[in-house]
Amino acid sequence: MERSSRVVQITAHIVLGLTTVFVLFPYAWMLVTSIKPIADVIAWPIRWLPRSITLENYAAILNDSRFVRALFNSAVVSIAVTALSLLLSVPAAYGLTRLVRRGGRPVLIGILASQFFPPMVFFVPFYIVLQSLGLLNTLPGLIFTYLSVTLPICTWMVATSLRDIPVAIEEAARIDGCGDVRMIWTIIRPIAAPGIVTAGIFAFVLSWQEYIFALLYTTSERAQTAPVLMFYLLGQHQIDYARLMAAAVLLSIPIAIPFAVIQRFYKSGMTEGGIKG
Amino acid sequence: MIARSTVRGYAFASPLMIVLAAAVILPALYNAGLAFFKYDAVRDAWRFTGATNFTHLLAQDRFWNAFWVTLLWVAGNIALQLAIGMAVALALNAVASLRAFYSAVVMVPWVSSFVIVAVVFLWLYHPDLGVLNDMLMRLGLIDRPIAWLASPGMAQFSLILANTWKFFPLVAITLFTGLQGIPRELLQASTIDGANRLETLRYIIIPLLAPSIATAVLLSTIWAFNAFTLSIIMTGGGPLGATEVMGLYIYKIAFDSFDFGMAAAASLLLFVAILIITVVYLRVADPASEAAD
Repeated sequence: MERSSRVVQITAHIVLGLTTVFVLFPYAWMLVTSIKPIADVIAWPIRWLPRSITLENYAAILNDSRFVRALFNSAVVSIAVTALSLLLSVPAAYGLTRLVRRGGRPVLIGILASQFFPPMVFFVPFYIVLQSLGLLNTLPGLIFTYLSVTLPICTWMVATSLRDIPVAIEEAARIDGCGDVRMIWTIIRPIAAPGIVTAGIFAFVLSWQEYIFALLYTTSERAQTAPVLMFYLLGQHQIDYARLMAAAVLLSIPIAIPFAVIQRFYKSGMTEGGIKG
Repeated sequence: MIARSTVRGYAFASPLMIVLAAAVILPALYNAGLAFFKYDAVRDAWRFTGATNFTHLLAQDRFWNAFWVTLLWVAGNIALQLAIGMAVALALNAVASLRAFYSAVVMVPWVSSFVIVAVVFLWLYHPDLGVLNDMLMRLGLIDRPIAWLASPGMAQFSLILANTWKFFPLVAITLFTGLQGIPRELLQASTIDGANRLETLRYIIIPLLAPSIATAVLLSTIWAFNAFTLSIIMTGGGPLGATEVMGLYIYKIAFDSFDFGMAAAASLLLFVAILIITVVYLRVADPASEAAD
């Protein structure tokens, strides 16, 4: 028994060690490539470790005004989608779980079910609607399309976290004459914080990395987001992979930081409503 | 009193419902309607054509190519993700140390940007400068570089591998959560009864894990049906249409040929296909989950 459980431990660590290599190698290679001088990037057989380290690839991409513009657009879209998603989903989750006596749950399930449509269903209608409203190639147009994905899941995540919070505090506050709006701000917001933060990060990460809608609805540089710009950089004749890897590293940072902070909550949120991400 | 708070509840939910109606429900219905019209770009007008879009679609070789490519793509993704996800979940469940570290690492691909995954794998797979070929050649496993994305069979496999990297965490964490729900006494009892580890896995763990496995398979199926970012970026659907999955095909009908009506029809068919799969899943998997409770 003692020996066989040691065998299990060692096997498990080997499996997870290999998984760690599988998971982290693409990132490690991305990072190494991004700090290589160009001569080392195109060397064959490959120089695994560069002879010297350079930041010229980062300088090159950050001096590209299109890239900076795209980063800015991505930031605006992501922050706006996150704010709007929370502004709409937190009161709705509160109303449906705490105020509606019967029928709140079916409505919530209906809201979650609306994320079930495959994105292809929206390609044409969004295009026609945005075009007729003059919102093609604009950030507000893109923000609108992202809400179709973030709202159902954010509402579900917040509602789920509210389910686990006892109503006693709210009842006490209610007796003291606390209204609904103040209730959401002073009572619900702090105690449901893990769920709200998780929902917010979900919305942010999704908008930061979304690619298909951005490709369809923001063809001009004015509204192009960073993922779309990456696609255009790939379409050039001479693909500069070192520069692309530097861009990829920079684009990963805004996802890596919040993820590192809330890694724990995110996992439970992911298994709750995770058809889209 | 009750009615009043219910009214307030719906009032708080109404902004969300209005936006959802405008951003999800109405566009989906509009799309379903468009499937029966044809857009005339010259006159900028729509013409009702009945089921013509559907009959034209089903008569196209490219549609059936996309159909089979998608089936292969979905099956390959499920198989690979389930194999890796199960191994990782069992290992995570077994380790006595470093579990938090490993589960954080496993989550990394899931939050990775799809475009970055595509770009980095393009670089890993690069036929002349790719590190994957370099590694395999140094290990003596191949004697000349493999063209990962240039031959039809290989390209499909390479994309499935990259997509699995991105999505196995969802399967692994779903299965791991299921494993944690299996009572330890049950496993101990089976060991006392003389079952070896494989028998315990086969007769105790897998049957009890069936609901989680079903959920994981459904999630990775839906994801695989919807995902075409990798094929659009890495291969553009080629070579010879070998990676032109349904999503990419619909994208091309809509925005290369500008046949909006037919794209709407194709997306409607895809939606119905996913709906049927899900309903069948709910019928098959739900009794199992009740039994497990």
